[in-house]
Parts: sequence; structure tokens; C-alpha cells
Amino acid sequence: MSEVEETLKRIQSHKGVIGIIVVNSEGIPIRTTLDNSTTVQYAGLIHQLAAKARSTVRDIDPQNDLTFVRIRSRKHEIMVAPENDYLLIVIQNPEAA
Amino acid sequence: MSDRKAELERKKQKLEQMRKERQEKDKMRKTKETDDIISKSKQAPSQDLRVETEELLRDLGIPPSVDAPFVESSEIKRVASPHENSEVSAIQHHSKPGAKVRTKLTVVKVAETSIPPRESVAYSKETQTVGLEPLEKDAKGPWDYYDDDADTDSMDVVQSPTGMRRMPQVEMVPPLQTQEELDYKEEPPGHILRHKRFIERKRRVRELSDEEKKQILMSEDFQSFFMNTTRLMERALAEEVDIFENILYNSGEGRDDALHAGERLKFNRVFFDERWSKHRLVTSLDWSTQYPELLVASYGINEESPHEPDGVALIWNQKFKKSTPDYIFHCQSAVMSCCFAKFHPNLVVGGTYSGQIVLWDNRVYKRTPIQRTPLSASAHTHPVFCVSVVGTQNAHNLISVSNDGKMCSWSLDMLSQPQDSMELQHKQSKAVAVTSLSFLSGDVNNFVVGSEDCSVYTACRHGSKAGISELFEGHQGPVTGVDCHRVPGQIDFSPYFLTSSFDWSVKLWSAKDQKFIHSFEDNSDYVLDVQWSPIHPALFVSGDANGRLDLWNLNLETEVPTATVNMDTNVALNKCQWHQSGHSIAVGDDMGKISIFDVAEDIANPKSDEWSKFVHTLQELRQHAAEREEDSALAGLSSPLR
Repeated sequence: MSEVEETLKRIQSHKGVIGIIVVNSEGIPIRTTLDNSTTVQYAGLIHQLAAKARSTVRDIDPQNDLTFVRIRSRKHEIMVAPENDYLLIVIQNPEAA
Repeated sequence: MSDRKAELERKKQKLEQMRKERQEKDKMRKTKETDDIISKSKQAPSQDLRVETEELLRDLGIPPSVDAPFVESSEIKRVASPHENSEVSAIQHHSKPGAKVRTKLTVVKVAETSIPPRESVAYSKETQTVGLEPLEKDAKGPWDYYDDDADTDSMDVVQSPTGMRRMPQVEMVPPLQTQEELDYKEEPPGHILRHKRFIERKRRVRELSDEEKKQILMSEDFQSFFMNTTRLMERALAEEVDIFENILYNSGEGRDDALHAGERLKFNRVFFDERWSKHRLVTSLDWSTQYPELLVASYGINEESPHEPDGVALIWNQKFKKSTPDYIFHCQSAVMSCCFAKFHPNLVVGGTYSGQIVLWDNRVYKRTPIQRTPLSASAHTHPVFCVSVVGTQNAHNLISVSNDGKMCSWSLDMLSQPQDSMELQHKQSKAVAVTSLSFLSGDVNNFVVGSEDCSVYTACRHGSKAGISELFEGHQGPVTGVDCHRVPGQIDFSPYFLTSSFDWSVKLWSAKDQKFIHSFEDNSDYVLDVQWSPIHPALFVSGDANGRLDLWNLNLETEVPTATVNMDTNVALNKCQWHQSGHSIAVGDDMGKISIFDVAEDIANPKSDEWSKFVHTLQELRQHAAEREEDSALAGLSSPLR
């Protein structure tokens, strides 16, 4: 089991975690624990959102950069960690955690 | 010639005639003018007067009124005929508008454009509404103000186009769009539809092949991304604070806290990893000086999983509730000792069973060592049980001691060979099987080692007497831990050190005295480690093989521990390490668990008189020791039981 798999499994086993998606710079999913259509939808939308959030942060202060996005909704919490143009997306149900 | 003359003559005549005519005309005008004045004075008939004014106006070059031409046309002709053609044309030009009126009028289509007046937004110092009101109200008197009608009118004012024109226009600004969105602009606007299209497009774009995915996964960019973000994510997931939770304080919880407040040693948390630390002995612990929340732990071999690496070192983070290690390092041989490289916050040093010293760097995204020392006779060939970084920021060395008594000092920049090495031998014959090492407080030269042969030795690194200097006998089993007193204060206790041993005891010594000052014999199993508090002069912690953790405050009690915690499961507490704050202790056991205990403040924090009290305590203990010596001498035993 590779380190990546190991880590993903560990996160997935965390209570309340619904899914994990790793997205590349073009918004294409590289790794996922969700079904195909959900993954593609999340990847595309979150990628756009993260890009927007990032440009917002950078426009306000060019020295600054986006490090984390947390979206709290009634049902879920979507957490996005960007780095090196990749995105790690974790969807969790905070009620269960 | 005559012909020409004749012509000239004829022209001259003509000119003469013209002159005559002009003179005549002038005469006529003059008489007319005089007539005019006369007729004016005589109140001439209105018809005449009118003609005259028209004529006067014409002379001044002003066109006649609409109906004038009917009367004048003949007159003009009459006046014009005797004149030269240039003058005639001028007069005809004047009469032209009159002629135009008589032409037929037709309806012409003209392209109509209406240009609204330019909207200028200007503010005066008065309120804007004041200016608006009269516009609508001017038809009504001010008494209409309070009528119902007037009220509705004033409402209309706001909605009226004139009002609108006067107000600055505010309109919806289209939201900013990303490039991708712009690409889909030509598509129908429906929001959901666009989403669907977008997804379809995405699906159409490209699906990465397995090779491509693998390539990405192998790239360094991805590795660093993945390491960092997963660590971050796990921290985020582990945080239990739910900001949406109702803020209700449970009365039961509060009581629970109060109950725990009385505890002197309170369990805080455990560091354990199912894969990396299970079934492994915790061989050493070290807190980072730069990042106080970081704890590095080294682990021995896991006999139950032969495919995993033998040696593991994990960096745990106390700050976050995340239950997994921040960094995972491993190597081919069991790690017997480890420490942070003190002045290099990213480096971790490990001493292995094979004798190699390995160096890990958490900036590099690999778990294997970035550097290791060679396995040669010049370095260690036995298990390295002790590693320590001593010195200052600019002059420090890594000191390592192996089980065969060999001590090496290294430069962290060059691990290919030791800078200095030395055999620790007692009386030039017996190699000291070192199990533990402790440098004296603030000293880089003098240190204390505990050995398997039940003895404790003081030694120094440099000078003519480099090597073992003194022997301390008293333990009846292998020494497991040594720790020198290192609490700064008005009184220097640096010569005092503690040792723990398989003989179920902890002993207090002074480097100036061959005999131990006191033996703490409250344990009923091997005592595996002992350590002074970094802030309290009379406080130390010890752990035994029966899962018992003791906290001793010598100023309070010397016969029994001040606080004791028994682990639930029957584990051996192999290592104890105070946090530099002096308020918590990390305890590692033989099952791979590290437990963090918080020490109650009233015990952990020294009072100002603790130092003088401790001097008193030491004196008392010495007195007891002397008495015990006398007793044993009387009993005919010259040396302690061996």
C-alpha cells in the first residue's frame, strides 16, 4: 500500500468523512473515494470556487495566498486545501464527527 | 483705326448717357425724400405710409413682410429696370423669399432623432427633494400640501421620469466571470443547464489515463502537496470544536472538571498509530526546543510484521487533536535513540541498533534518512543507545555512545566520519556497556553514564583525563536511566543526579560523593527511567515496568511518591520525558503508546523557597545515609549487598 493510499484510507476512516477527492490544476480528479459523477461534479465546481477564492485573496493582497477553504452547509462541510495547483477536497458530515 | 475711334466715341457717349441718367435718378430721389417728409408731416394715408416703410426697409436690406410682395413686385421692377444688372440681381435676391412662398409646399419625410438632454448630476448644499417639489406642485397652491392628493403626488414625484432623471442612476453590475464561465457564455443562460453542460464538457475534456495519474502521483510537486494538505486536513478533521453547537454548559461536565482538578497527574492524551507504532517499544522521546508542541519518538522493531521497516521515528504534534503523527520516518534498523537536532528545527537524529546514526529531514518528502553514518570501525558497530546534541548555536556537536562503550562526536554537516571518538573504559581494561547518558547542566565536557554492569560513571570528553573518571557503585542491577539536575536557580545543584535500575530502585547521587545519598525503593518492578523536572528543583518522575508512573517531590516526601498513576493495561513505561515547560510529561511504553500527562500546577511550579528547602532535604538525606553506613558497618558489612 503506497503512502498516498495509506493516508487517504486514514482520512476516510475518520468519523464523519463522506469522501475525499484529489484534483489537479485543470480540475481533473486524480484520486477519489466517491462515485464518478459526484466526483466530477465536485471537482469541477470546487475547482472553480477555489480559483475564485484564491484570486480574491490575491487581489486583496498580492503577497497573500489561499491556504484553506471551509464551506459549511446544512448537510455537509466541504474542506479544501490547495497547494502547488492541486486541491485536496474532503467532504464530511460534521454532525457525525 | 477709325473704326476703333468710332467705337471709343460711341462708348464715351454711352457713359455720358449713363451719368446723366444717374444724376436724374438722384434728383428724383431727393425730391421724393422731401415729398416724404412733407407727406409724413401731413399725415399721409396709411397705404402710402406702408409702402414707404417697406421701401425704406428694402433700402436697408431687410426683406419685406409676407404680404408685401403683392404690392411691391411692380415697384421693384420699376426701380430695377434703369439700374445696372448687378444691382438688379441683388434686388431680385432680396425678393426671392416672397417668390418661394408662392411655390407649392410638399410634405417631406425627415429622419427624426431625439437626443435626450445630457444628464448632469449636480448637488447643491440643499436637500435634493426641495428642488423637486415645486416642479410638480407649481400648478397647485401651497395649501394643497396637506391634501391626500398632494400626498399621492409627492409619491409620484419619486417615480416620475423627471425625478429619475435627476437622480444618479444605479443599476445591477454583472458579476465577474472566470475565463471558463466566459467560454460558456454563448450557451443558454439557465443556471442548472449550464452546470450540466459544464459537467458534460468536463467529462468530454479528458480523462486521465492510469499512467498519467501514476506520473502525477510520483511527481515531487504532488508529493509535497499531498503531505502538507493531508496533514492540514487531518488537523481540521480532528478539531472537535463545533461552532454550530448550542452553547450550553453541561453541569455534569463541570463537576467532572472539578474532580480532575484535584488530580496531580492528569492523563491528557495518547499518541498511537495502528500501523507505525503498534507492538513497538518506545525507545526514546525528545521534545523540540524550537517548536514546543513537537515530540519525536523512536520505536524498536515490530516482531509481528516482518515486512515493515525495523526502525521507526514519529513526530507527534501536541497542539492539535489529530491522532496521527505529523511526520513518519523509518529506517532499516531499529531506532534505539533519537533527538531533535536542537539548532536545526527540521532535522531529527536517530541512533540505530546496527550502530549507524541516521538523519531525517522533514522538509524532504521521503521517510527514509537523508544521511547516515557508515558502518565502520571508526564509528559505531554496536547499538547506539544514546544520542545528544550539545553545545551552542554556532559550536555544537552530536554525541553518540554505543553499547560497547564507544563515544563519537560528529558534526551534523558531515556524517561520513566522526570528528572525535573515544573508548569509555574503566581502568583501561573493562569496556563500559553504556545504557544511558546525561551531560551535566550547562556542561559540554562532563557527563554521567549508566551501564549494564550495575555501575554509574562520570567521565569527560576533553583534557588529559578524557574518558571515565569516577565509579559509582550502589545499584544491584543494570542501570536503565541517568539524569543530571538541571534546574537553574540561586543554588547550584548540578552535581546531583538520579539513576534508575533493574534493582527496583531509584538512587540520588552527588558527583562529589562515591556513595549514593538516597535510594527510593517504593517500586516493585524494574524502574526503567527517571528524569528531573526542568523547572522544579526537588521534583522528578520515574516509570517502572509494571505501568506505574511516580512523581516525587523530595521537599514533601522522600519515602513515598507524591503522585502515582497506574496504567490500566500492564505495560512497561520505558521512557519518561518532561516537556520543557515543566507542566507535562510524555511517557512511552513497550506497546508503542505514548501517554501525555499534565502535572497539576501546584506541584509542577516551584515556590520561591524550594531551593533552600531542597538544600535542607539533601542534608537530612545525607545524615540518614551516614547513619545507615554506620549501621551497616556495625553489622559487619563493609559494602552494600551485591
